Amino acid sequence: MKPEEKKLTEAQVATIVKILGLTTDTEFNCGECLQHVSEFAECQLVNKPVGEVIAKVEQHLAMCPECREEYEALMKILKAGQ
Amino acid sequence: MALQNRSDVSEAHIEDFAQESLLRIMDRLDRFEGRSKFTTWAQSIALNTAFAELRRKRWQDVSLDALVEQGDRMADASVLPDDILGAGEERTRLVAALRRSIAEDLTPKQRAAILGELQEMPFDQIVSLLGTSRSAGYKMLHDARRALKQRLLEAGITGTDIQNAFNL
Repeated sequence: MKPEEKKLTEAQVATIVKILGLTTDTEFNCGECLQHVSEFAECQLVNKPVGEVIAKVEQHLAMCPECREEYEALMKILKAGQ
Repeated sequence: MALQNRSDVSEAHIEDFAQESLLRIMDRLDRFEGRSKFTTWAQSIALNTAFAELRRKRWQDVSLDALVEQGDRMADASVLPDDILGAGEERTRLVAALRRSIAEDLTPKQRAAILGELQEMPFDQIVSLLGTSRSAGYKMLHDARRALKQRLLEAGITGTDIQNAFNL
């Protein structure tokens, strides 16, 4: 399968711009996000404020569609179990 | 439950994911710090395992050459035209600065990685194609984003401007 689209879409360019706006010097990568996402999800479930370290999960989720997809699936499971 | 009703997931897949997830959870037990319930942590690992495998299957036929070739064209005006974000001096100035930075500040691999990310290619697939480790690949992408952001800042476009312009 070869990537099909040659011209970037408006949504893709908006995504670049958005990601650049969120980029900081220190941020979580996907592995670090995975390490902390369960704690972040449980806090979100009960609207509990998160600390500085766990807040980096939220920043990573805003930039990473893969981790966000997994987080949303996890939240779906946790909410169903409430 | 999270994978139910997906057309790309069969019962056999779910059994494979369950076994693979169990092995990964066992392998990572020493990383569980007790900051969440064990079940939540284990579910996060299981979901990561399953989704990573689904994404890998979806993108397994993409070649590095195709991605690099397409990445090299990212800075062409035909691929990234000034008005792609709509009319307006601020938006066209932003796109022009972005295009220049993509052309001048990024390596071919960084362009390919950014493009792969935009196409929602799995990160594991990107680093596999680029022949690098996850940590080196992440640093490469992070360095690319910082270089692009720095160029926008030098053009007088701040993070606040970006957020205001695009209601972020």
